[in-house]
This record gives sequence, structure tokens and C-alpha cells, in this order.
Amino acid sequence: MFRYIIHRLLLMIPTLLAVSAIVFIIIQLPPGDYLETLIAEMASRGEAVDQNQIEALRRAYGLDKTPVEQYFSWLFGLLQGDFGWSFEHNRPVSELIGQRILLTFVVTFSTIAFIWIVSFVIGTYVATRQYSVSDHVATLIGYLGLATPNFLLALVLMYLANQWFDTSIGGIMDDQYRNAPWSLDKMLSVLEHLWIPVIVIGTSGTAGMIRRLRANLLDELQKQYVVTGRAKGLAPRKLLWKYPLRMALNPFIADIGSILPEVISGSAVVAVVLNLDITGRMLLDALRAQDMFLAGSFLMFLALLVVIGTLLSDLALAALDPRIRLSGGTTR
Amino acid sequence: MRLKIIAPIIAALALTPATAAADFAESPMLAAEVKEGYLPPVDQRLPRPPRVIDTGPGVYGGDLRIAMARARDTRLMTVYGYARLVGYDGGYNLVPDILESFETVDDKIFTFKLRKDHKWSDGHPFTTEDFRYWWEEMANNSDLSPLGPPVLLKVEGEVPKVEILDAQTIRFSWSKPNPFFLPALAGPRPPFIYRPAHYLKQFHKKYADPAELEAFIKKRRMRGWGPLHNSQDNLYDMDNPALPTLQPWFNTIRPPAQQFVFMRNPYFHRVDKAGNQLPYIDRVLMNISDGKLIPAKASAGEIDLQARNLFMSHFTFLKQSEEKEGFKTLLWDTSLGARIALYPNLHIADPGWREVFRNRDFRHALSLAIDREEINEVIYFGLAQPSNNTVLPQSPLFREEFQTKWAAFDLDRANALLDGMGLEKRDKDGVRLLPDGRRLEIVVETAGEETEQTDVLELVHDSWLDIGVKIFTRPSQREVFRNRVFAGETMMGVWFGANNGIVTANMSPEEFVPTRQDQYQWPKWGQYYQTEGQAGDAIDMPAAQELFDLFRRWQSASSQAERTEFWERILQINADETFTIGVVCCTKQPVVVMQNLKGVPEKAIYAWDPGAHFGIYLPDTFYFERP
Repeated sequence: MFRYIIHRLLLMIPTLLAVSAIVFIIIQLPPGDYLETLIAEMASRGEAVDQNQIEALRRAYGLDKTPVEQYFSWLFGLLQGDFGWSFEHNRPVSELIGQRILLTFVVTFSTIAFIWIVSFVIGTYVATRQYSVSDHVATLIGYLGLATPNFLLALVLMYLANQWFDTSIGGIMDDQYRNAPWSLDKMLSVLEHLWIPVIVIGTSGTAGMIRRLRANLLDELQKQYVVTGRAKGLAPRKLLWKYPLRMALNPFIADIGSILPEVISGSAVVAVVLNLDITGRMLLDALRAQDMFLAGSFLMFLALLVVIGTLLSDLALAALDPRIRLSGGTTR
Repeated sequence: MRLKIIAPIIAALALTPATAAADFAESPMLAAEVKEGYLPPVDQRLPRPPRVIDTGPGVYGGDLRIAMARARDTRLMTVYGYARLVGYDGGYNLVPDILESFETVDDKIFTFKLRKDHKWSDGHPFTTEDFRYWWEEMANNSDLSPLGPPVLLKVEGEVPKVEILDAQTIRFSWSKPNPFFLPALAGPRPPFIYRPAHYLKQFHKKYADPAELEAFIKKRRMRGWGPLHNSQDNLYDMDNPALPTLQPWFNTIRPPAQQFVFMRNPYFHRVDKAGNQLPYIDRVLMNISDGKLIPAKASAGEIDLQARNLFMSHFTFLKQSEEKEGFKTLLWDTSLGARIALYPNLHIADPGWREVFRNRDFRHALSLAIDREEINEVIYFGLAQPSNNTVLPQSPLFREEFQTKWAAFDLDRANALLDGMGLEKRDKDGVRLLPDGRRLEIVVETAGEETEQTDVLELVHDSWLDIGVKIFTRPSQREVFRNRVFAGETMMGVWFGANNGIVTANMSPEEFVPTRQDQYQWPKWGQYYQTEGQAGDAIDMPAAQELFDLFRRWQSASSQAERTEFWERILQINADETFTIGVVCCTKQPVVVMQNLKGVPEKAIYAWDPGAHFGIYLPDTFYFERP
């Protein structure tokens, strides 16, 4: 097991290196660079551009160098913990990401909790009542959640919240709390706004999770040990909780690896529509503005999450399910 | 010799209230701070004389809520604040603002007199040292300004002589006229030819303590002192709360943030006619929202004053919630020479097409075949006006001919013009053929940002088909669009018309002359001028060359009459040649204003330059009836 972990950790290095190269190429693909974007935007509004400022920036950040040179200087910076400079915000990237992490985690963990709780309850319920009316209804709702575009759902919910509860439009809290210190009112305001993104981001994840839990559980329910348990007179509820449900929990664990980056990056569109101050929105803005170091660092951060998430879920699976043993991984 | 002296009149007007200190009053918020001993009393904070605005008295206090789409939009508060060395008044005359007075001699010698005891927002004196620091230590320091002083301060390569006469007086002089200088100082994005020297010196290699500077560079992860200095010095961007300013409100929040709080500047130099120090409003709260959410936020009553990100298409939507949320939606005039204009690319790489586009008759035919009335009715509720891309009726240079020449809807005449060019052959679909047999198909590219443009093109498509010209619309992305135009790959682009349609003879006619690369009809000529011949192409078309010569003559003209003459000639050539095909002008800008916010004009012009959006209406004089 220990050797396996070391092996996996070492594998991360070439993976991340490859990712960094791909990330950099993709960011550089659109024509121009941040400074050209800036000039274009200002020119479109009739603002004169301070050529001196542009030239000074170009020289200071090596935008006049070749892409290969830029890549290696960025990479060496990353290795030393220097994530580069955000042109858009005129600050070091490292100062920017940190600020957003707290709210991102609040949204992300609420969403994952939402997905897990809802799909666990519904999945278990419908699996034990296969092909009943409730099964079909839950399936329908699940598919609706999967099929409705997130941004549309977000807009509708935001409108309804404004009409019914007078919740302010957009944002994760009312405008007056944005710079205020944390207080009970501020937390309530966050809660008032939080349910919309949680539902919106959560619905699509929930649908898939319900189906997987239902399918797994149905498999288990027909197995010999369940039939035996039932025949021996074990109470149905106790039987369900104690054996097949545990076996069917695999997808919850196995998905950690993909669910983390999915929730963080998949929420970008919702974050834009709802004006949430979380990382996804900043990533999208950075990409649009070709703020390359900021965007690149974000993407590397996401890649790191995937790699770590996958490792964690593999380890958790091994711990949870004795049938999964990983010794093969090291010898292969 | 033409000598303008404005000083005595202004000074006489302003000195009267300044003589009696007790006449000045200030906001209750600052009065409390004075009482606690944090601030000196108002008569010690105001310069002598302060600038007196003919308004008031208003009510002090309150928070003004506005919304912007990006964190970088903090710079709009410099635009709205509109504290300038010289600024435009309501009648577009240049008047001293931060300056007590200015004198000009033939547009060559500019003498500026500062107000005595004027102070930065941190209470430090504002003197000619701040001008000297900028000129000697920044503009002429290659680490900070790799390209030297800004182009505006160069007249055909010549930099000005800068003389500090005393702590309040400074003179800029050139041997040739620089008519761009004062209008630029009054612009929405002025060249800040002064900087808070006392603050910036701590980042300047020449003045700073080397060890401290080194530590700071490390801490901020900068690559040298130049970038560090530049990053701390953004009077326009307002993104450094520590940087002192002269604007009515200063920023207190470092970006990025979702809300920026701007506090009143206790040393602001304007008072109302009763002697109350401006601004009336204590704080401006700028909330950052996605641009597309801003109309929704306005309609939910979450914004007190907004024009940016609101468009005509939101008008009915906004009107619906007016009563419930207690705001009103004003319709201001805009200053765009044309809301929509088509730009035939005279520098298209394909030689066959280039010849066609450079034929004046072809451009006339295209212009004649646009049904502008129909477009106005269908897309703009009839609120716009069919027009070429030229100056607007509010401009003293306006002539009806400029607006209507070659702009009537006349398919027969358009067809005749095209036939006359030898393009009479058509294929079975009725599309004309070029001499080399290709179909007359034009790909019109847009920056892909506004559906309005594609809607208009849809209507243009139908009427152009009647003269045998087929168009395809290709939405793109702004940078791609621009780069394709520059490279000569784009046949025709769609964009706004001239930015400033409300011009006077003293404003630069550069928008109607090949002077910039981002003029989509002649990018390479513009580039040639901008780079002083290092890139782009020299002008090779007589009409364009004449425009450029007129521009040069306008620049060195010595009288208003001459300038008017050159301007009119430039506009006439543009109307005769149809270099750009304007569609409609005079659209409206919706402005959302809370009912209890007073001082915002009902009828006004929403313009970037001159005007600075709200700036020219002095938002420091706006106030809440019941804060």
C-alpha cells in the first residue's frame, strides 16, 4: 500500500508537467495577449491608451519574448511558488486566489452535501420501489435537473427569489454586507442567497448520482445474501441499512476525484450569472481577458485538485471495500 | 498675437466668499471628525479661492449606489468625479477647475496658476512640485516611461519647455501650436501631468531609501522599481487606496473586490454658491456585477444612478418597475456620430475587391440601398434618425447635407451606379458578378457583442440583395475582428460611428481623418500616422490625402474661423466620399435615477469625450432629498 502511494505521487509529477504545457498552449491560442485585449477594450470606448504604461508592462512581464521563453519563466516561477502577475487586477496572482477560496469552499461543500443527501435519500427510496409511481416521478425530476441548462435555472430562481422573498439580485450576500465584518446578519444573508447556486449546481450532479446508486442497489438487492437475510427474518429496514446499502455506496466515494474540480469549474457559468464572488467566475474573467498567469495558475490548481481527488478516492475505496485491492497497480 | 486672460474674472468671482471663513460649511460627517480633532476645520482645508459652483444649497449625506461590470471599472469614478486642471462647463467652454486660472498664447504657451493652499486628499499641499516630479522624474525617466513623454505633449516630435515660475505657477511652451493640449486635459481620461510627489517618492529610485525600496519590491513580488512605481501610481484607475487624489471621492478598497467604497475627499476644492463644501453625498458604493445583471439590479431598485450597461432594449423593462421601486428612467441624447456604421475596408488584401471598395460609386450605391427609415422603425422604435456617420445636429459644424448626402433610399440610382461601374453581369440568383467572374458576395464581420448589429444587418441584407449584392454576417470576437481588419482579411466591418458627434471647431477632427489604426475603413493609413511611418501604408488616395492635409492645417491654424473652414471641408469630403456608411444616429441612452436623488438633469447628453458621461454634470452637486 505504501509503495502504491509513493508510486502514485511520483506519477503526479509528469502528469502535472504535461498539464502545465497544455494549459499554457491553450491560453496562448487566441490571437494577441492581455495588453492587446486591454487596448482593444479601451479603444472601443474611445479611451486613449497610455502607450508608456503598455510598453512598460510588456517589458516587465516579458510579453515581448517568445512563447517558449514565457512558458519556462512561468514554470520556474510556479516551482518557486511565484504564480506570476495578474494584469487585470494589478496584483500578484497568489494574493488573488486566496481571497476567493473561503466562499468557494462554502459553496462547493454545500453543493456536495446537497448532492449526497438528496441522491442518497431519493436513490435508496426509488431502488427499493423499482418501477413504482414514485420511482418514475423521481427519475423524471432527475432528468429534468440534468437537462435544464444551469444558467437558465439560475436566472429563473434568482427572479423568483427576488419576487417572492425580495432577495437582492445576484451576489452571495446583500450589497451592504460585502465589506462588513462577519456577523449573524451577514451569515443569514449568505444563507438567503446560498440555496440558489447550491440547487442549480447540485441538480445536474444529483441526477447522475441517483441513477448510479439506484442501479448499484438494485444489483445488490437481488444477491444471495440479501435473499438469505430476508428468509431468515431480518427486519427489512435493518437488512437494507446493514448490508446492500453499504455495498452500493461506491459511487459516492469514487466520485470524489471528479466531483471536486467539477463543482469548482462547472460552477463558473452559474457564478457569472449569479454574480458570485468565487473562483470559477474569476477563472472565466481571466480567460476572457487573456490574463494568462492568473488563468494558468487557476487551471493548474484545478488539475492539482483532480490528481489529489483521484488519489484520495482510490485510497478511500480501498479502505471501504475489501474487494478492491491495489497491489496490482505497483507490479503492472 | 491672441491673448486670453481668464484669471481676473474668475478670481474676482471666487474671492468674495473666500474672504469670510465663517461662510464655509461642511457635511455633518466631517464636522464630527473636526470636533474629534481628526481633521482641521473646513476653512483650513479649502484652497483660496475654492471653485464656486452655481448650485445648491443641497442636502448633505447618504450613499450613492452604482454598479459596474468589472473590478477595473473603479476608473469610472475618476471620469465621474471630473476634477480636471481645466474642464468643460455645461456649454462646452473650457474653464479652470483645479487651476485657479490659465493663460494661453496662440496655443503655444500655456501658463497655469494653481489655487493657493490646495491640498491632496491626505492633506498634503498640492503645488508645482507635483508637476515637476511628473515631468522630470517620471515622463523623462526611461525606467518609468520607455517611450518618453506622452504623444500629446509632443508637437511633431518637439517636447515642451517646462518652467516652474513659483510654487503656484507653471508654464508649458512649444514653438508650434498644440491645440490638443487643453481639450485633452479636460477629457474623460486626462493625461495626469501632475502626481502626488510626496507619496510616490518612496517608490522612486532617486528618492527612496534603497533598503526599504528593495524590501518593498520583494514583498510585492515586482520586477524592479519601475513596475513597482507604476503599480502604485494610477491616478486614473483609482485602484490604490493609498494614492492621494484631487477627485471628490477617493477609493478605500483595494481590488479585486465585489464592492468598492468611495469616501468624500475632505480637501475637495469646490463649494456651492452658499459656501458649502462639495460633494454633498458622503459615500459612493460601487457594486461589481456581471454587466448583464445590471439592468435587472436597476429594475429591482438596487441602484441609485446608472447609465453604463443600460441600453435602449432595456427601456420598456425598466419602465415597468419604475413606480414600484421609486426610480425614473430618463432618456438622454448620445453623442455617437452614428449608432451603427458599416466600414468598407479600403485595405482589403484581395486586389479585385480592393479596386471595387476604392471606387466611390460602389460605396455610394451601397449607402443608397439601405432603407434607413425602415431600420429606424423596426429596431429603434422610430426614436433614432437616419443618418450618415458625421457630426450631430447639436454641433455648430452640422449641416444637413453632411447627414443626408447619399443616404436617401434609392434603389434605381444605386443600380445605375453599379451598372456604370461595369458590374452589370448577374448570375441566375440576381447577384452581380465581379469582372473576374466571382459573385459580389460581401462578408460583413461584427465584433459579436451586440445583437442589435446583426438585427440591422438582417434588414440591410434584404435591400442590398435588390441591387445584386449579397452579404453574409459573421459574428466574431473583438480582438479577432480587429486583427482581421488590420490584416486586410475583413471585407467590411460593423461598429459604432464617430465617438464624438458633438464637436466644435476647436476639437480635433482626427476621427474623420486617417489617424488611427482602429479606424476600420483605412487601418493601414492610420497605423502609418500613429507609428510615424514605421508600419502601415502611406496614403495613396487623393481624397484621403486631402483629408490628412486639412488635418495638418487645422493643427497649425491660428484662428477659430480657419479651424471652422478646415473642419467643414473635412466633413464635406467625408460626405462626398462615403468612406463609412452610417445607418442611424441620435439614439437615446437610458439613465436610471432614484426619485429622491436630486441634481441630475432630465435632458442631457450622455457622451464620453467631451462630457465624461456624468462628469460634466458634476455628480458632486447631486444630493439625496432625504438621505
